[in-house]
Amino acid sequence: MIRLIGGEMPGWNEDRPPAGGALYGYLTDQLPAGSRVLVAGPHDPALIEALAARTAVTCLVRSQPEAERLDARGLDVLCGTLTKLTDADRWDAVVALDGVGRLCSVEGPQYDWTECLRALRNVLLPGGLLLLTVENELGVHRLVDPAAATVALTDDAWRPLGEFDDSRPGSPARLADRLATEELALDWLGAAWPSPAAPTLVATADALLTGPAGALSAAAASAVASAYADRAVLSDPRRLAAAAVRAGLGPELAPAWLVLARLAPAPPATGAPETATPLRLPPVLLGDGPPAGPLPTGRLLEELLLTACLRHDLPAVRGLLTGWMAAVPDAGPENVVVAGETFTKLDPGVPPRADVLRCFATTLLTGGYAHPWPAATDLRTLTAILHAAAGLPGDQPAIPTDEDPPIPNSRRDQEEQLRSLRRLLADAEARAEVYEQEIAKRDAELTKARVQIAAFGGSFGYRMAKLGYGVARKARQRLRKRA
Amino acid sequence: MHHANHFYGHAHVLAEYCGLDPEHPPRIDGYVQHGWNVVDGLGIGTPYLPGRPIFVWSEQTRRRAWSMGRRQATVIGAPFLYLLRFAAPEPEPATRAGTIWYPFHGWEGQQVKGSHGRQIDEIMATETGPVTFCLYWNEYHNDKIRAEYEKAGRVICHGYRGFQWRDTDIRFLHNQLGELRAHRRVASNRLSSAIFYGAAAGCEPAVYGDPMHLEREDLAVAERIRRQWPELHGKHPEPETARRSALAELGDGYLASPAELRLLLGWSLDRAAVPA
Repeated sequence: MIRLIGGEMPGWNEDRPPAGGALYGYLTDQLPAGSRVLVAGPHDPALIEALAARTAVTCLVRSQPEAERLDARGLDVLCGTLTKLTDADRWDAVVALDGVGRLCSVEGPQYDWTECLRALRNVLLPGGLLLLTVENELGVHRLVDPAAATVALTDDAWRPLGEFDDSRPGSPARLADRLATEELALDWLGAAWPSPAAPTLVATADALLTGPAGALSAAAASAVASAYADRAVLSDPRRLAAAAVRAGLGPELAPAWLVLARLAPAPPATGAPETATPLRLPPVLLGDGPPAGPLPTGRLLEELLLTACLRHDLPAVRGLLTGWMAAVPDAGPENVVVAGETFTKLDPGVPPRADVLRCFATTLLTGGYAHPWPAATDLRTLTAILHAAAGLPGDQPAIPTDEDPPIPNSRRDQEEQLRSLRRLLADAEARAEVYEQEIAKRDAELTKARVQIAAFGGSFGYRMAKLGYGVARKARQRLRKRA
Repeated sequence: MHHANHFYGHAHVLAEYCGLDPEHPPRIDGYVQHGWNVVDGLGIGTPYLPGRPIFVWSEQTRRRAWSMGRRQATVIGAPFLYLLRFAAPEPEPATRAGTIWYPFHGWEGQQVKGSHGRQIDEIMATETGPVTFCLYWNEYHNDKIRAEYEKAGRVICHGYRGFQWRDTDIRFLHNQLGELRAHRRVASNRLSSAIFYGAAAGCEPAVYGDPMHLEREDLAVAERIRRQWPELHGKHPEPETARRSALAELGDGYLASPAELRLLLGWSLDRAAVPA
């Protein structure tokens, strides 16, 4: 059933996909069965349906065509702008995993972030839960985006405030403060990668601080690697995400924060037992839920290799290459964790590859990383050197010609490749000039030598005989012509 | 590439290590550091072809080369260490005695200035065992200088360095290794390749005496060397510290495998060998 609450947009379809994905599905699955839930803003229909199978769901959307599609699925829908939502109806939980940016329509007041939060809080029953995604305007996804958030690119950007909405919390600590101001107690806060719309990794600040930093930074890099394959970016988000996690800045630079907050419960009747059990969410969510086992300790092989290359630490590079090729030669360096002498696959589910050394050579070359073999500027030579440095047999390995896995298309890498090509060209031109001078010098020497050979070659008698033979040959030719 | 690659039979030693014909090493795609120095590894006046690799002994030299604008330096370690990898091991028990002394030497372009006589006096007053004087070919072929040393002890020469690929004594380093292994100490009045080689070959190194000087030499460099490597200077430096320092300068730990070295030098087996 659709209830039009006012401010709905009749001909409007959202131009960006709704929040969704398996990890969000896991989170909504944790809401208590049988509760009444308001799903505010656009969400993946699959996620809504899964939730509706366990709870009583009401959807709030501004797009009327979207409301009709949800209604056709048999869902209860409120269609209109957030500012028209009243506290006449209240829910046990509000799910706003799309954030609050798509709750106000073009009609009526345009709430800022805090006002949106207050409006959602006002429709919670005492003790009610708020599951909210907050985009970080300083998140990795923003830092690498070639387009600024304040550039109005899409039809829904009728008020592109970006980082200029001062009511938005700029850090996890400020987010907790804003929630507290609205009497919302923070039960759980997780930093999310690679995007607010569909995170595949969420970790609490405590997990990021005390957990295995290597595996978590690797997971952050891997999450952004999948999301940014072949996408245009300013700089490589994999390195930025991993470096932030390693530096203890994971939560501050994550693309989004997910919070589970609870409105203060009604004061219990005197002597009545506390019935609500607090909802406990895991410290780390990976893919579609908590990881199957403990995360491996150690550092990501790719990062160790790059570090050793940048240090020009040849013994370390050779040790890592040799250990890698002996233990897991079919896993890319971005999927191998190294702890001491042990090389383990981070995700055993990734299909094996035969071209991992070539892929690492590509990383070194396209990323413009300094490495111990700077004169090897072509992929084939560098791959062959890595092959030899890994202690593998054969001087010229058959280098697989499969396509490299898609990686972020970074503006910084392009700049570096341009610089590198200019360097190569300048070197080649300088060499050609040296060669030309050398040829001119040797030509002069050769000419001199020929003159000397002609002048002094052979004895007097030999030269006379040669002269006579030449005269005789010419005379014979003349006689033949006459005949 | 450059004739300095063949100095002291370096290219020949590297070829033997790589499993190639040591008498006819193929052309090296780059420049091999031909002696220990405190610049970029290349000799003075080497006409460098831009973009070509230089193969230096140590990571420290690579950093120095980088700072001097040489971007294509790769550390391979000193050819002498490669020789140690494949040369026959030192006979057991070792029969070492006395000191092999390398007086600071000149070359075609610069002669050494100073008193060889006073130097010999100081050496004989310091060394307790027999002294072998190893003269560089430049001094060895100077009858007057050689005669001065011959009065004090045995005088040898490891051979001719070579020039423009001609007359290279391709067993130079082999000869040197053999002599070093016969002595307990290696000494000189200047820190030089020979001291490092001696330390690597098991001698106790020492650098003392009048450092003398080359014609038109910038003496600030010699003073800088004394400041930077005090552990190798003196009549009796602490042997283990000195040895560690020497091995670092030779690039110990950085040696490439034969397969890797073949690729770096442009000697991979599927490429047609180009004569030097």
